[in-house]
Amino acid sequence: MKKKTTGKTRHVVAWMNKAEYEHVMEYLYSKEPALQKHALHRISAWKGRFGQSTPVAVESTADLVRCQVLDSTGQLEASDLVLLYGMALVRFVNLITERQQKKVARPLRRLAGKINIPEWVVNLRHDLTHRRLPSLKWCRKGCGFVLDWLHQEYWSRQMGSQLAEDWNSSSEEEDEEEIAKRHEIDLLSRQKEIEAHKKVRELLSSYEQEQFQTYEDLTKQGRQLDMWPDASADLSWILTQIKHFATEARNIFADVLMQDGFLIPTAEQLESLDIDPSEDSGDVFAPCLPRVVLHFWLPLLKVLNSSIFISLILDTLFAELMNEPSSHRTYYIASWISEILLCNSKSELKAQKRLKLSKERIFLNRLQFPWRNLISACVNAPCTATPFLLRQIFSDMDKPLPHDAQQNLLQLCSIYTQGYHGNSSPGPSDPAQPVYTLQNLQERLKRNAARNRDTHSSNHTPGSLQAPPTEELQEKLSTEAVQDRNSALRGSAWSVCTDKVPWKQYPLGKVPGQPEDPSCLMVESYSTFTVFDQQVEPDQLPQHHGNRSVSLQTRGASGSDGPLWTHSDLSKLKSGLKLF
Amino acid sequence: MKVHKVSSQSQHDQRNATKRHSKNKWHKKIRSLDSTLLNTSSGTAKLEQQLAKREKPTVKRLKKYAKPVTFIPENSCAKEGKVEATSVTFAHVHTNGGTELDDSSASVDSQEWSEYANSVLQNGMESSTLSDTDQQKEDDLQFHAHLDHTHNRAVLVMKQDQVLCFRGKCLLTCLYGHVEVLGFTIEEGQQPYPLFSPPSHCPLTIKAFGNNFGGSSKNKKEGLLEAKAIIRKFFSSEPSKKLMSEVDSDSCVVLLEPLDTPLTRFLSSFSELAEIFGLNSKEIKSQAAIYNPVLSAVGVTALRGPCAQGLVMSPSYREAISSLLSAWAGEFDRCPVILVCGGKSVGKSTFNRHLLNSLLNHTVSVEFLECDLGQTEFTPPGCLSLCTVTEPLLGPPFTHMRDPKHMVYYGQADCQADVDRYLESIKSLWRHVSGESPVIINTMGWIKGHGFQILVDLIRLLSVTHVVQLSYGNAPQCQLLTPEFLRTAHGWQTHPPTSTLTEEPASHLTIRSHIFLSVQSEFEGAGISGDMQYQRSNELRDLALLSYFSKLQSSEPGPIRPLHCFIPYQVPHSSVAIGVTHCEVAPNNILYVANASIVGLCCLSEKVVGRGGPVVLSQTPICQCVGLGVLRGVDMARGLYFLVSPVSPSVLRHVNCLLLGEISLPKVLLTKQHGIEGDLPYVTTDYSFEVQGAGKLHIYKGLIRPGFLKSND
Repeated sequence: MKKKTTGKTRHVVAWMNKAEYEHVMEYLYSKEPALQKHALHRISAWKGRFGQSTPVAVESTADLVRCQVLDSTGQLEASDLVLLYGMALVRFVNLITERQQKKVARPLRRLAGKINIPEWVVNLRHDLTHRRLPSLKWCRKGCGFVLDWLHQEYWSRQMGSQLAEDWNSSSEEEDEEEIAKRHEIDLLSRQKEIEAHKKVRELLSSYEQEQFQTYEDLTKQGRQLDMWPDASADLSWILTQIKHFATEARNIFADVLMQDGFLIPTAEQLESLDIDPSEDSGDVFAPCLPRVVLHFWLPLLKVLNSSIFISLILDTLFAELMNEPSSHRTYYIASWISEILLCNSKSELKAQKRLKLSKERIFLNRLQFPWRNLISACVNAPCTATPFLLRQIFSDMDKPLPHDAQQNLLQLCSIYTQGYHGNSSPGPSDPAQPVYTLQNLQERLKRNAARNRDTHSSNHTPGSLQAPPTEELQEKLSTEAVQDRNSALRGSAWSVCTDKVPWKQYPLGKVPGQPEDPSCLMVESYSTFTVFDQQVEPDQLPQHHGNRSVSLQTRGASGSDGPLWTHSDLSKLKSGLKLF
Repeated sequence: MKVHKVSSQSQHDQRNATKRHSKNKWHKKIRSLDSTLLNTSSGTAKLEQQLAKREKPTVKRLKKYAKPVTFIPENSCAKEGKVEATSVTFAHVHTNGGTELDDSSASVDSQEWSEYANSVLQNGMESSTLSDTDQQKEDDLQFHAHLDHTHNRAVLVMKQDQVLCFRGKCLLTCLYGHVEVLGFTIEEGQQPYPLFSPPSHCPLTIKAFGNNFGGSSKNKKEGLLEAKAIIRKFFSSEPSKKLMSEVDSDSCVVLLEPLDTPLTRFLSSFSELAEIFGLNSKEIKSQAAIYNPVLSAVGVTALRGPCAQGLVMSPSYREAISSLLSAWAGEFDRCPVILVCGGKSVGKSTFNRHLLNSLLNHTVSVEFLECDLGQTEFTPPGCLSLCTVTEPLLGPPFTHMRDPKHMVYYGQADCQADVDRYLESIKSLWRHVSGESPVIINTMGWIKGHGFQILVDLIRLLSVTHVVQLSYGNAPQCQLLTPEFLRTAHGWQTHPPTSTLTEEPASHLTIRSHIFLSVQSEFEGAGISGDMQYQRSNELRDLALLSYFSKLQSSEPGPIRPLHCFIPYQVPHSSVAIGVTHCEVAPNNILYVANASIVGLCCLSEKVVGRGGPVVLSQTPICQCVGLGVLRGVDMARGLYFLVSPVSPSVLRHVNCLLLGEISLPKVLLTKQHGIEGDLPYVTTDYSFEVQGAGKLHIYKGLIRPGFLKSND
């Protein structure tokens, strides 16, 4: 199956939308400690979502901004701050250059230079790790520079549109993995396809061999061609194999059948079927499949006779015809189309039923073709036989086109195809066309549309069949089911949501009435809950519970203002202390 | 091999009763002991001597097994099995069996055991003596199957000892004779079993064992007629002569049906997972598939050549399995507690499945304690659990998600961040072990440093009786966990008994020692984590999660519903506590983590009452988790969480705590949401990995990458 390559890869990120990303960026670089703190809190949530795949730049920015925020409080001493800044800076330089490291470790200075980080920042890192600690001034300077660098290199370039165009082409980092994976999948599917092609060719060749054998036997016995015997044991074995395989590889079958030497017989094959290959010029305006060829393929077509398969064959035939094949191919393609249409036509089926000629019937029941598509496919692939084929289609449509439309189309076609010889390709600006300007225009529009649709649908037939109808997707629960669930939940805080909400329209993470505002999920008030029924040592227990926070500030680490343990709390703690 | 089922109910009950009795006694002892062991590091050499006196048979055995990789000659082991087995009236109590073989003799059980032990050992011989001619090999790869078109099912006739190694999935019913799949024996008359052989794991093999008629020609003839009659029954028309001519009295007849479950339908609805039951790239490259239209019609692709080896069992592997089986057979006076450990990708979980299936041939249930957070067997990743297993495991973990007896949500795929919480969680699960069936403990592949200390702790804390340590290559990957080593090893929480305590007269304390079994993995690629599609550990974790959430799909065939299309449950913010297990999150931003994330649905014994707004946990509790859900949205105006979960409402009612972890929703569930117009939250096409610092923290492992070497120089 071909993988859709259209559209850019979707990535999962921690921000709900671009607005949230920009909101955080703005606050981080606002130079306003309260806003910066707000952004840091949001990044703590992002880290929770990203887990181990938090982008290095986001983490580094958060660390550095945290230092600035703490610095701005004026409560920390210079040496405290040097340690804080130091860690953030060391981590930044190490992590950002880590990607550049290859097999042989290279000096950070050179790696950093490549990504426009000046040497003094790297030296600052060296000072911090294994020389004398730099002064706070240097740390602040370094922090400021790095934050600007991050703003320029990451924050303002990310999620923008200027780079988004072709970033998919070259790879970096975790997408190396993704790309390798995709590559492997592609390779695999190609290999599978080749395998399948090989298998189909093998199957069809053995089928042909078997049929030639039968044909030779027939001619030796001098019997009538209509007297093809029932499938021999070997042939039916081949046919069952084909049948099994055809369900999974329908497209491949259609492709292979279209190759020379299968549905379109080669000169050699024709000779061995006693048909003069030079004769195939036949009547190019009304091609007709030699009966022997039909008999030759009839057992196979009977086996593969499903509406999906036959429509696919028709599509492929028309698509082939569009490629302006050689006259020999054109003739046989057109005659196969005609044969299929004929075999499926109302009158033919009736006649056969009457005559009980079940042998020559491909179809036991009439198949419904997508008639309008067929017409566009037919006019899309003009050849000398097009008017003939069109007429066949018209006569067999269930809801025929208005008579004058039919006539106009036919006339148009014959004008179009008249001067059509061999390889002289009819350009879109055919001089014969201006006569029917309006219709021509409509025709052309229709044709283009149909072409697009055609190329699309021929590539993705299985896919388009799979596309699920969205109407049925919404889960529907009967009132009893809802009642059952709710009665099982009775007494608890849970219930089934009974709002009349078309959930299928709301993706995960979105509910009706949710604003686009990036602050919409902020909690104004919350309560803290501490579980006591735990085997946790007392020093691990936080010193407070149930405090209410209204402002943006997190709960302080002040243990003294929490309430004291009650007697029952203590006994709970004691019982929880038992280790096993 | 021959398996007898003694289905005399009373006999079985009686045996069980006695066994239970003795076990309970033991169990109490274990309890008291464990607590003392923990609080005071105790135990002495003297005590061990006492123990030796008390449990003579055990200790004798111990000597034999104490040294690693001692090869026990095949016949001695078998003989031993016989001797031991005669003393026990062993009943085959697997519930699925309904058939009774009528030629049960007095020594049925001993025969069974010796034969089983033999067969386990002999299997290796067969594979090693592959001196068959090509013709014969070719013959073995001929699978005689016939498709019943009306019911779309296939009848497969297999010669005795014929092996079908395959990819794909199917439902297998044994119609005649018996077959073995991953250590589990399926006999005629048993229920159909689903088999899954996706490219992520070693392919499954179906091995045929015919009925043994002991050379009596009359029985053989009857058997043949019976087999043919069975085949006829399954076809409306006369089956092909070819098939019938293949039937022999000692051949096996199995029915294969296509398998279509909500799981398979859900997985195949993602284009990325289209080939999840196909071949892997190696098999495609080496053209290992045997084309058989009948088998492929039911979803099975037979393999040939080097890819069709199936499970490669080394002699030490077989030995370990057979001695663990005999441990359960009764020579041990308490239920075996088997801890399986070893490095990453060394075959732990396959060994576990094989062992579990083999045990299920002889017992109703096996308890499985999951201590591996990353590659869990029955639950989504990040969960520690205790499962009672009654059905065999005939596929990789993601094909048999089950509701565990007890579960704790740890929230991360490894335990490095909080080892204490990890160990406490396991201890809390251990309290629910019944002690009446064998216990298998699955451990992490983290065997270095603290990971090794944790193993030492687990062996001590869980009173393990058997340690199976898997390794590969010439040198073991870590210190062998022998009883001698344990006497001096330090764990994370536990410490070896100090010598000063030796003098204390503590007769009630006994230090039990375990039996150590070393298993050498000899399969190709042992110790190397798989790098083909579906084999990477993160892909397997995603598969486990997808499999878990596939339980939401209705069991009747119908459209596959994306997660967002389900009608959610709702609960007020103030009625459930919410917490993040893996990092510090500002409480006022907690909903930014929770929205569209996976939550562990947990039950706290305390009532949660908030005062408006979310109730944020101050630390991560260790509490029961009943399953996972997706917090599909938050209604800020009404203060409601909306949750989609396969957990049944009668269980959900007890949930009052939602734990958020690092286990994230598989990306496809967010990126592929059919029927949505407009942007998807948390999904973007604009994120560029070309920008500096856009990727995650890259841990440079210093691996040799030839591709890079050249470009550097």
